[in-house]
Amino acid sequence: MNNNMDNLMAELKAQIIEQLNLQEVQPGDIDNDQPLFREGLGLDSIDALELIVLLQQHYNIKLSNPADGPEVFYSVRSLAEFITAEREKAG
Amino acid sequence: MYIQGIGIISPWSGQGSEPLIKEDHFAIIDPDYSQWIDLQQIRRMSRVIKMGVAAAHMSLSEANIEAPDAIITGTAYGCMADTGIFLQKMVTQKEEMLAPTAFIQSTHNTLGGQIALKLNCHGYNNTFVHGNTSFESALLDTQFYLAENPHSKVLTGSADEITTISHNILTRLRRYKKNSVNPSELLNTATIGSMGGEGTAFFVFQALKDNRSIAKLSGMEMIFRKLTPEESLNPILEFLKKNDILPAELSLLITGKNGDIRDDYQYDLAENSIFQNVPKAAFKHLCGEYPTSIAFGMGIASRAIQTGKLPSEMLYSGQPPKALNNILIWNAHTNMRHSLILLQKC
Repeated sequence: MNNNMDNLMAELKAQIIEQLNLQEVQPGDIDNDQPLFREGLGLDSIDALELIVLLQQHYNIKLSNPADGPEVFYSVRSLAEFITAEREKAG
Repeated sequence: MYIQGIGIISPWSGQGSEPLIKEDHFAIIDPDYSQWIDLQQIRRMSRVIKMGVAAAHMSLSEANIEAPDAIITGTAYGCMADTGIFLQKMVTQKEEMLAPTAFIQSTHNTLGGQIALKLNCHGYNNTFVHGNTSFESALLDTQFYLAENPHSKVLTGSADEITTISHNILTRLRRYKKNSVNPSELLNTATIGSMGGEGTAFFVFQALKDNRSIAKLSGMEMIFRKLTPEESLNPILEFLKKNDILPAELSLLITGKNGDIRDDYQYDLAENSIFQNVPKAAFKHLCGEYPTSIAFGMGIASRAIQTGKLPSEMLYSGQPPKALNNILIWNAHTNMRHSLILLQKC
């Protein structure tokens, strides 16, 4: 389970870097619990849209309630937990 | 109006250097953009925006101003690379789940907007998308703006990029040659098509002369009709007369010769008659053919007036001019539109 979560977080880091064109950032530079927005990676509202597209494209998951956004996209770990929960729901 | 600052990013780095060719077209020499744009912003900018913002900064820095009163931009193709990315994703992803960044950055006025955002400039901001006369249209608007606001400083420039897709399309349309040639041979090829290019040039203008003025843009005119070589003589003479200059008083004629046999013949008659004794220079063998390339020509011509030195690579006929006081730039775009720009020493 832990291994799966670690793999998913590593995969997410690579996808975030590619989708957002974070040219100077390496996957190892992103801490699992570091905030993605504002003080952490410094992402903004356009990046939030890019992350929503990323979720749909790579994981076929739609964020149905926009109010969940800040919690889901808080960090790489919260995003991975959300994806895992959605996958379990879908069976 | 007076040129106070110039910023150019082009395939050519100046006297004594060869222009940069990538595959079969001219390509800009990228500077280190991080000296003007922070990394957080760079990641969303396509090449044309980065080079435009950088050239704008260079010209403002030379003019010694933080922000202009107005920003006027000319571009024919706009943000071609991002447009291509967005359209390609629309096709491959069947119009679903489209990422927003390429779309946001694909509009023609993105560059003018990005410069304004970066400089926190809330003044007049306009972008002209008028094909081969986009830069000239921006110049015309600058003249109008300064006539109404004589104490203002205006940042005016243009940018156009070439992409693999646009290059392929324009080659199929025979605007570009099928096989690339050595830039130094481009003007002598006498075959159909030119070579594609790209670049950006920004200028700071003001209405009044001061001790920072680089050159005076005394006149600019666009002619929107097809002219035979004979018919082109009168409008040129009238333009010079309007600016109180005789052809023989020109220090230099800069033409838009581009190595396309269908375009270059247009200059021959004037060169051998009214401009017979005037030295002739060209610029498109240093930057390639693209719709706003005249801005590059105007930039290096202004610099030549400022320094009194003409890069030897530009001259193709006559003796090197002893003094550079009056320069006429004449660009005949596919013989459908003619542009005339008169630069003078100030």
